[in-house]
Order: sequence, then C-alpha cells, then structure tokens
Amino acid sequence: MFFKKEKPVIAFTVETCSSCKKEIKRKFREGDCLFASGEQCDACKIPTNIEKIFGQTIE
Amino acid sequence: MNYTDIFSPDKLFGTGSDSSNPIMWIIWIVPIILFVFYGQRIQLMVTSGEINKSITKLQKYKEETRKELLDYLQKSKMSSDIASKIDRFLEYFTIMPVDIDPNGIMPKIKHLLRSRESYTRNQVTLLAENLTHLEASKIQNILEVVTSLNLLHKLVRHLFLTAKKQNNFPLILPLQMMIPFIMEQAEALKGAVSALKAGQPIGDGIGPMVVGKMMLKSEKKSIGLETVYAESEFEGRTLYLLKAEGPAATVGRPGDAVEMLVSEKKPNVIIMVDAGLKLEGETSGTIAHGFGAAIGGIGTDRFQIEEIATKHNIPVYAIVIKQSIKEAITLMTKEIADKANEVESQVYVTIKENTKPGQAVIIVGVGNTLGVPQ
Repeated sequence: MFFKKEKPVIAFTVETCSSCKKEIKRKFREGDCLFASGEQCDACKIPTNIEKIFGQTIE
Repeated sequence: MNYTDIFSPDKLFGTGSDSSNPIMWIIWIVPIILFVFYGQRIQLMVTSGEINKSITKLQKYKEETRKELLDYLQKSKMSSDIASKIDRFLEYFTIMPVDIDPNGIMPKIKHLLRSRESYTRNQVTLLAENLTHLEASKIQNILEVVTSLNLLHKLVRHLFLTAKKQNNFPLILPLQMMIPFIMEQAEALKGAVSALKAGQPIGDGIGPMVVGKMMLKSEKKSIGLETVYAESEFEGRTLYLLKAEGPAATVGRPGDAVEMLVSEKKPNVIIMVDAGLKLEGETSGTIAHGFGAAIGGIGTDRFQIEEIATKHNIPVYAIVIKQSIKEAITLMTKEIADKANEVESQVYVTIKENTKPGQAVIIVGVGNTLGVPQ
C-alpha cells in the first residue's frame, strides 16, 4: 500500500517522413540521434528524419 | 483490598465505580512518566531509523553509479589504476570565494568554476586513449552525477551522526524535513546515468532541441567553448540562433556567446528557451512565458546575460517548459518531447509580437544538449 513499484521506462525513437509526414515509432537503438536520417519511408521511398527520442513508462 | 478481582474487565478498564485498581494505575501512569522523561529520545530513535534507511539508500545509489561509471569506462582502452583515479575525483572540493564583501564576486566564481571544469575535462581525456569529444563529455557528466551522490551521502551522514553523537533531537529535525527532497534529487541523479550512457536527450535538452531544429538548414559557426550559433531569417528579421554544440553532453558557454553576439550584432531582443522547474500540481510540459534570463546553474551565465542586456537596453524574454527535477535530468519524457513544435511556433510568435522587420533577435536554447545536434 505504501510502496510504489517503479515502472520501467523504455526509450523510443520517432521517425517522420518529410514528404508524407507519416510517423514511425520504434524502440531506441544505440546511435540514434535527433534530426539524423532514419529508415526509409515505405510509401515515399525517401529516408525519414528522427524527430523525437523519448522515454515512456510501461504499465 | 480484595486482590482476587483485580483482573476482572470491570476493574481493569475502570468501567466500574472503583478506580483504585493498581494494574490500571500502572498501565496509565508508567507510559506518561516514560514519555515525559524519555519522549524525545524515543522520537529520536524512530526518526533515526528512517534517516538511517535513507543513508543506506544513498550509499547504494553512490556505489551503483560508481560501478556503472567504471563499467562504462571499461569499454574504452583504459589507463591503469582507474578506480583510484575515479575515487580521487569524487573527493574533489571547491572553495567558494569570500562573500563578506560581495563586490566583484561573480568573476571570481566564474574563474573558479572554469578552472575546475577545464581541469576535470583534461583529466577525463587522460582516463582513456582516443576518447572522442562525445564520449569524454558523457563520462564527465556521469562523473558529476557520482560526485553529487557522494556529496549528498556524506552530508546527510554527517548531520545524522552529529545529532546522534550529541543526542540532540532538535538537530535531527531539519534533516528529517529535508530528507524527502534530498532523496528525490538522489533518485533523479541515479536515473540520469542510463540516459547519459546511451546518449539520449534529457528533459533539460528541450531548449537546445527547439533551437537546434530551427538552425538545421543554416551554417553553424563556433562561438565560445562548445557553443555554436547560426544566422537565419524570419519575416524580415535576422535571427541569431545559439545553443551548446551537440550531441555532446554540454551546456556550452551561453553567457560568453550572448556577450559576443550582442557586441557584434547589436540585437533588439533576446529570447531564451529553457526547461523550468514545475511547482507541485503543475502539469509537465506546460509552456510558460516570462521576462528575464531563463538560465540555471550557479548564476555566472545569468549574471553575464543580465549585465550585457542592461548595458545595451535589450529586453530579455523567456519561454520555459515546465518539468520536475527528475524529468529535467533523465531521459526526455513524451509529454516534453511532444511540446517541441509548439515551443518553436511560440518563439516565432514572440519574435513577431516584439520586433519589427529589419530588426535582429538572439534566440538561445539553454540546457544540456546531449543527443541533440544542430
């Protein structure tokens, strides 16, 4: 009742396609850096940009 | 007296008319005497137990982070006897200048902190061979975390042991009141290590993140140690975008950089974007506008910016993104990261509202730029 169990925080990377604005959220990988080029957008076939890196608690 | 019925419930709890039961008398009188004469000592014992638990926790945090630092250093080619070198770092202290006559104290503090900073930077580069700038900055930051935890542990232990040695309850009261805040800070420091090791942006990096994004397509020039600026244009206004040089874990030298830019470019307005500590009850990621130099630290950079802005009569506007101490030094939360675009548009609104076309604006992204390039 008085003890709060700490929830694990998982780091995520959000890549955005500059053309279709589609956002892809995936788990953070070592070497990920903000504004760097990410994976290729499936629809536009151009590299996405890393827009955000953040942590989210897992319930 | 009839001793055969003293254990009857009526007699024992005084529900009957006779209240002369000796057992009842002992049950009530003894604790009263005990608490009158030994109350403070009992309270001291209870409080001591709680503080002791916190001290053990602080020690655990210190040892864990120290081990994490050593493990991290093992990845690089290490010079020999690394553990004793790290332990020596932990014991370094800074003697602040005399403040009986505070006139001219700021340059002294600045000089002292700069000396310490450059010494630590040089020592860190000597720890391992071929250490990159990014790696060295990460190690320097983790070292600062371990040093802070070591200091917290030693301070709390000192106050606790002094109070116990003197058997002085009033001395332990301020410590008891401060312990939750100290522990909150210690937990935040401990949580910061994983983000620092992985090179992930921390909550404090929201200012550099916003300004870094604004300067992506412009040419970056170095200004001061680990600090860059870029020139850009927005609706007829010239923007001088300034931040620490990412993605290294550094805050740069915004004070020096603003001073240089003001002298050279004569801006009309300074806008500072920074993470700000939220009050309890406030929502994380709330954007607040204000006036004055939004920059933390010991105060040397703020002093420098205030001085130069006052000298040239330049208004200073502040945009802060509210967050807790833990959020500020650990991996950036989604709530804060999601606000980056909104902050950027609010910076542009502030520029439009406070300047006319043809004027110049300095925009400073304040904070640790770990994982945030430009």
